[in-house]
Amino acid sequence: MTPRSANIPRTEGAPPALGQPGRPARRPRLSWLRVLPVLAWPVSRTMPWVTLISGCLAGTGYLAVMARVADTSHSPLGPGTVRLAFLPAIAALAFVLRAPFRPVSQAAPVPAWVVPAGHIVLAAPVLAATCWAQLRIVAHAIPPRNLGYAPAVYPMIAQLTGWCAVAVAAAACAGRSRYADLSGAVAAPVSFAAIALAWYPPVTARFLVEPPGTAHAVTVAWYAITTAALALTGAAMRDQWHRYTRYRQRLARGQ
Amino acid sequence: MTATGGAPALHGADAADPTGGAAGAPVLARSRAGRLRTVLGLARVEAFLLVRSLLVLAGLLAGGAVVWVLFGSAEPLWWRADWEIGGGQLVLGMTVLVGAQLTAGRARRDAMADLYASFPATARTRTVAHLAGLVGAAPASLLLIGAAAAVAQARGAIGAPSITVLAGGVVLVIAAGASGIAIGTRFPHPLAGVLGALVLFITSATTQLASGAGIWLLPWEILQDQLGSLPGRLAGYPPVGAHLLELAGIAAAAGIVALTLTVGPARARRGLAAAGILAVAVICLAGTLQLRPIPTAELNHLVREVADPASVQHCATASQVRYCLYPGFGRQLPALEAPVRGVLAHLPARPDQPLTLEQVLSPSLDSTLTHGHPKRQVSRWQAQLQRAPGSAATASVIYLPVGSWPAPGAGLADARFDVALAAAVWAVRIPSQATGSPSGELYLPCVPVDQAREAIAIWLAILATRPPAGELQDGLRGPGGTIGTVGAEVRNTFVPGWNYPGEYASYVTPPGMPGTTAAGYLLASAMTSLPEQKVAHVLKSAWATWLNWHTTDAQLAAALGIRMPSVPLPPFLRPGFKPGPGVAIVQPGPGNGLQAPLCTA
Repeated sequence: MTPRSANIPRTEGAPPALGQPGRPARRPRLSWLRVLPVLAWPVSRTMPWVTLISGCLAGTGYLAVMARVADTSHSPLGPGTVRLAFLPAIAALAFVLRAPFRPVSQAAPVPAWVVPAGHIVLAAPVLAATCWAQLRIVAHAIPPRNLGYAPAVYPMIAQLTGWCAVAVAAAACAGRSRYADLSGAVAAPVSFAAIALAWYPPVTARFLVEPPGTAHAVTVAWYAITTAALALTGAAMRDQWHRYTRYRQRLARGQ
Repeated sequence: MTATGGAPALHGADAADPTGGAAGAPVLARSRAGRLRTVLGLARVEAFLLVRSLLVLAGLLAGGAVVWVLFGSAEPLWWRADWEIGGGQLVLGMTVLVGAQLTAGRARRDAMADLYASFPATARTRTVAHLAGLVGAAPASLLLIGAAAAVAQARGAIGAPSITVLAGGVVLVIAAGASGIAIGTRFPHPLAGVLGALVLFITSATTQLASGAGIWLLPWEILQDQLGSLPGRLAGYPPVGAHLLELAGIAAAAGIVALTLTVGPARARRGLAAAGILAVAVICLAGTLQLRPIPTAELNHLVREVADPASVQHCATASQVRYCLYPGFGRQLPALEAPVRGVLAHLPARPDQPLTLEQVLSPSLDSTLTHGHPKRQVSRWQAQLQRAPGSAATASVIYLPVGSWPAPGAGLADARFDVALAAAVWAVRIPSQATGSPSGELYLPCVPVDQAREAIAIWLAILATRPPAGELQDGLRGPGGTIGTVGAEVRNTFVPGWNYPGEYASYVTPPGMPGTTAAGYLLASAMTSLPEQKVAHVLKSAWATWLNWHTTDAQLAAALGIRMPSVPLPPFLRPGFKPGPGVAIVQPGPGNGLQAPLCTA
């Protein structure tokens, strides 16, 4: 079976009438919650661990090398290097949401979004650990200050969380597009473009980058973006996959 | 069942080789011609797919945006602009890399390798076709060059573009694509391409990775050069030819890696090994050439251009004002003459010392320029640069740093105002007193506190350039848009200041000379609402008095028959102000802040 078969129409129940969107079969509300423990193992098995961990390790490795270089060249690392080092993890996250067997999972008695949602839940601790490790590396690479305090970490955590949410939302949306088989390859550049757009234009930088924004304002703004991105992700994952309706209508007209 | 009998696709690829290895020479020639036709046909299809790829289109747009950002608001200098166009090509190259990786990994990613292996075209033939199909990235690259060049020319670029640098950008895109094919041949997962693109980006975006001449070894350096501070092309900076060679070597090496991964007969493997060694040798040679020091004669010439501009600049005199510009910058002359002429037209009497407007250079002789030269020689150059004009403020000379003059647009109006204000400051004889040096960490220009001549200077500059009133009024606002928070401490008193348009853009150096006050601006603003003849008559009647630093704003206002405008106080000096929790207000006084000097005689 190949990922291209994602557009196979739903097979459950009777076929819908021509011109009507495909409707999922009626399930007892929340009855599928009982099968979640059973699903845990298959979800973790289908999780693209190699992809995610490769991305996380690539960024962390880069940061470790940079910390070493900074040590020898006496040019300290800045928060910008951490952000750069987190980009591979963001790229990997864009591939986590992919559901290659969606037609099969749609025919299953649990909602189709359970598997990708489970993958996100499993990816979260890996990303958190990566963030923690990278912040530790940078903390070691930045020389202790004699005066003043180190910059606050919480705006950066909010920012990286926001980046992750944007990547997940982009992947979820790309997964519902005609480029579903390349969702990560599309979502990763889109996420990078969104990050660049938040970073460079002065209009957005005023709220999303510190400075010119204050730490508090930047944190609030990025968590607001995270919330919006997760809402978009939820909506995309619960998408009813309407595209075959139009196709069927065209076929019907042709007949 | 598959043509390879279930063997791994790439390994079984040559099973379908029609030559069979035992045929005669005519058959071999025919098969070669057929293979060439196959390669060309496949390459045409792949090139077409790449041309219409959404990724390449997105890369083209992002590359264009990057070039726009790198150009900034300054007037483009071609010896810098053509290298910045390469920065856009780097972004385009990243997307081409991802696209090429997706192309090369398509068969294995879609689990169709066995099917592909049953085709007459071998995996090696397909890889050659993929590599040849990279021609499809060239239109986007050339379009980027064309669009960026058109923008640069439209903004009045100085100098001429280097074809070698621009060609280097195209080769960079091709090299990135070849790398993508090499990655995709081995790693079909799309993440591999994205990571490859990130590596390409990180090499150029991380300044710690290279220093000295090592910056030219990166695929395309965009952050560490000093091209914008040079008055023209400097041979060997960047080492364009060698860099082009390096990129071509990388493209060839990546192609060879891709071909090596699609295993062929032993003879072909030997050929690839030889070609690979040759490509690595070319890369090493190019790297060595790039690490060569810049010729001493070139650096001597640069240091002379910086330390003794008169020896190379072309000077012109108009209305007894001297304009000295580096060769090639002559087109800036009208933009400089107009504001100065505007100031002189309203001036009752000129100072004895003639005014000169002179371009200056501000390159720091860092290791990217001086690598490979003995320390003693570098110290000698540094000592020469210490004597360069512009490192100390001079009352009768206005210095214009190369590379900061803006392109036509909003910035040009600010630059013209700055030149007019600098000319007016010379006209009213405000001295160039300051604490510290413009090139040092501490630099505080003098502040003409309550001096009528400051208001006259601002009035002259406003009349000469007629900037929008709103923009002038914005100069009273400090951080957060609060009026009254701009200022300096002079003789233990907080003096509300005024930031004139373009003060921080360094169109004129040293910037902020002198520190303008809110009182001076408000009085000048009030003066502009009076008839010009009336103000001119008042000024002419007692010009020497107005130039005296003891003559106050109030005296000038009284002579003009207007009330002295009230100066807004900063919030912390207003009655009833309560600081927030954890905030302490330090009142001006000895030891409580940096003191700017007072402008005197």
